[in-house]
Amino acid sequence: MIYFDSAATTLQKPPSVAAASARAVRMCASPGRGDYAASRRAEEIVFACRNELSELFDTGGAERVVFASNATLALNLAIRSLVHAGSCVLISSWEHNAVTRTLHSIPNVTILTAEAPLFDDNGTLAAFSAALEQRPDAVVCTCVSNVFGYILPYAAIAGLCRAAEVPLILDASQAAGCLPVSLKELGAQFIAFPGHKGLYGPQGTGVLLCGGEAGSLSPLLTGGTGSESVRQEMPLYLPDRGEAGTHNVAGIAGLLEGVRFVRRTGQSRILTHERRLLARTEQALADINDVHFFAAEGENQAGVLSFVCDGWDCQDLARTLGQQGIAVRAGLHCAPLAHSHAGTLDSGTVRVSFSAFNREDEVEYFRTVLKQIVHGILRVY
Amino acid sequence: MLYYLIVCRSLTYAQRTASALDRAGISAHILRSPKAISGGGCSHSVKVSQRSLSGALVVLNKVGLSPERIYLTSGDGSYREVSL
Repeated sequence: MIYFDSAATTLQKPPSVAAASARAVRMCASPGRGDYAASRRAEEIVFACRNELSELFDTGGAERVVFASNATLALNLAIRSLVHAGSCVLISSWEHNAVTRTLHSIPNVTILTAEAPLFDDNGTLAAFSAALEQRPDAVVCTCVSNVFGYILPYAAIAGLCRAAEVPLILDASQAAGCLPVSLKELGAQFIAFPGHKGLYGPQGTGVLLCGGEAGSLSPLLTGGTGSESVRQEMPLYLPDRGEAGTHNVAGIAGLLEGVRFVRRTGQSRILTHERRLLARTEQALADINDVHFFAAEGENQAGVLSFVCDGWDCQDLARTLGQQGIAVRAGLHCAPLAHSHAGTLDSGTVRVSFSAFNREDEVEYFRTVLKQIVHGILRVY
Repeated sequence: MLYYLIVCRSLTYAQRTASALDRAGISAHILRSPKAISGGGCSHSVKVSQRSLSGALVVLNKVGLSPERIYLTSGDGSYREVSL
């Protein structure tokens, strides 16, 4: 199978990821709960992973790395810490349902959207700048559109938020592992991302980086932390405040190996590789009549690309590609706001997304197969 | 043998403390704090030898990990808090 759905989950991982997870299942108990070897091993793995993440994302301390089960939970933690009934929140027009549904679930939240022309950095910054004058209680912004791969000017947006003294939540789901994200430099209150995409960890892993004081984090889950057990409130320090219950040690063990792979390989090298594949894909799509793709220019695009094909329902096209052994994702990608912004809410799109493990010959095969499907050479079932 | 226990508020702080000491060449081991000194229930401590404490405090001060409480073991198994 040719796997082009890494924006959802990277399927091909370094072999050490599965090996580490399997080893943890066999040999690790609950971290922080026992004075015996199996508990110690678990502790060491969790701490090593915190340290790797802390260094990769420049957090200024391992305790600022809070483990969650995915980016959605991490975003819920962040949003529910800063946004309350009646709050006003500014978001980009590219946000995922993990952000928008969460905001909609909080009563009487006013949502301001920074609307700008497609893939327009200056317009985006102008829209954020203008909306910040309305003094929102928080800003939530993705670094990269999960549908279109557009890299928002998130460092500059963070600068606007710092200047306006408005707390920022960054969704780095598509950025973690290929773009520079420094908690200290960005000055974000929270940065959320999954472990199972660009960090090559297993599903069931996510991370919330906390830039502010521990007290600003409102726990979604309460329970045992292995610390201050007499107290009936959650501890007032990180990471314990955000981590009730036993950790997903097997997942974190795999994530540790995934992060090590990313750091060894280099984020910029991974991005360069994905962009090379992206450029070939754009050439391929441009060669096929009736196919239209959406792409930002040059360095504003990560390894994610959406397209539509005249006369084809996006799901039918994705299914047909799947029958030919090519895995892509079609539909709205849980981001109706982004599709609405791009004018593809009714049609949806077909999305291809890459990882460090994809190759150029896979793009060539994709080009051949897509051409045959669209030209009616390959029979559609 | 007498030793000191540096009580930490969380496992992660204990791990950071032990890491900093290890990097400075000071042998340090993490353990769950004895009930008598754990404070609000469960906590973790970092065990250092009697002769290492002053060096350990210098290191921890440098990296901004000032201990909350330190206990000295007594021969009879009890613990005595050391004023910092």
